[in-house]
Amino acid sequence: MSKIPKQQEKELKSKEKYRTNEKFAYKSVIISAILGGIFYIISLFFNTGFITIFMNKGIFWNFIDITIKVVAIMLFFLFMITSVGNYKELIGKPLNWKELLLLFLLSIGQTILNIWVFTFTLFGLAIIVIYLYIVQEF
Amino acid sequence: MKKLSFRVIICVLIVNLTIIPFLFVLKGYGATEEIDSKFGDSPKIDGYIDLFSGEWNKATKEEFFLDDLPIKFWVMQNEENLYISVQFDLVLEYHNTTEFIGLIISNSSSEDKDEFIDAKILQFSNISVNDFDYFDYYINSSIFSIDTEINGDGAANLDGTTSTYEFSIPIKNTLDNEGDVLLDYGNTYAFNITYGDIPIYPNGIKKSTIVLINLKSLPSSLPTLTNIILFAFCTVVFSVLGILYVFYIYKIFKLKANIKRVKR
Repeated sequence: MSKIPKQQEKELKSKEKYRTNEKFAYKSVIISAILGGIFYIISLFFNTGFITIFMNKGIFWNFIDITIKVVAIMLFFLFMITSVGNYKELIGKPLNWKELLLLFLLSIGQTILNIWVFTFTLFGLAIIVIYLYIVQEF
Repeated sequence: MKKLSFRVIICVLIVNLTIIPFLFVLKGYGATEEIDSKFGDSPKIDGYIDLFSGEWNKATKEEFFLDDLPIKFWVMQNEENLYISVQFDLVLEYHNTTEFIGLIISNSSSEDKDEFIDAKILQFSNISVNDFDYFDYYINSSIFSIDTEINGDGAANLDGTTSTYEFSIPIKNTLDNEGDVLLDYGNTYAFNITYGDIPIYPNGIKKSTIVLINLKSLPSSLPTLTNIILFAFCTVVFSVLGILYVFYIYKIFKLKANIKRVKR
């Protein structure tokens, strides 16, 4: 017969599970933040015009340039929202709409120099926000 | 005696007036036209002037004579090349099998013979089947030597009675300009437009005329107020994001310290 009472064993298991979840959430916060940072740097280089290797070289290269810019911003938004969401969960608060709006505006603000990047990013971010909202609802 | 002196003076004057101008004229040609180049999109250099796509629509168009041969002369440029097209009509039997159009380019706007050091030639080898070659020559004391590196491009085509010659000459191409005139924005260059029928240069040249081409300067890229404001806004956004990101990383590390403290 086990020397540890069943109730205590259950509590221990629950604590262990919480710690594992916490560890996983913390790892997710860090990894997502690092990836968000990488895409922030990529976006900084392309969207401010530091890197112009694909610009004004024809329709194909312009398309590549716009794609890189849009994808960098969208991945930045996606990883940062994941990181901030998990961070908030760890400190026991939910991610509120003000933080979401701030991140949304700062992501859209990166696109201001190119109308095409602005349009596609706005469209892409709207899809991500709608997707996250639907996922939360279910 | 007085009469004799007067006659001698008159003779000397006549001789001077007739010979001395030749001493100046012998070294030059004399331009007939001055053409301002215009900015446009690069046309397809294929010997066809495509009116449907309007590839030469933005070009400066002039009509003048190569001696007695009326030609249409089109000039256009972009950031990389100067584009020249020469077109003329001749009754089919007057088109020579090996006719050519050459652009002999001066180092400057000077029409002094010695200044013409570069030649781009579109030479038909068999006009009946539209076989042509593009040559790039370096000229030294009227001797044409083929360039080691061919700069520019060209295409020629005979369609009915109309022959069209299209040239593309690089502007400010500093990669390999040995034996070539280094065309620069905002400068004027003398071009000797030549027509000939035998592929021997310069002996094959039958008709020629000089035009001055004024290359346009590159459009100034001064930023507008809107662009400055947008760029400033973009800089602010990225700066705020950078600061917030650093602050967020700091908060993450602080959270880790807090978790460790709670665990203890």
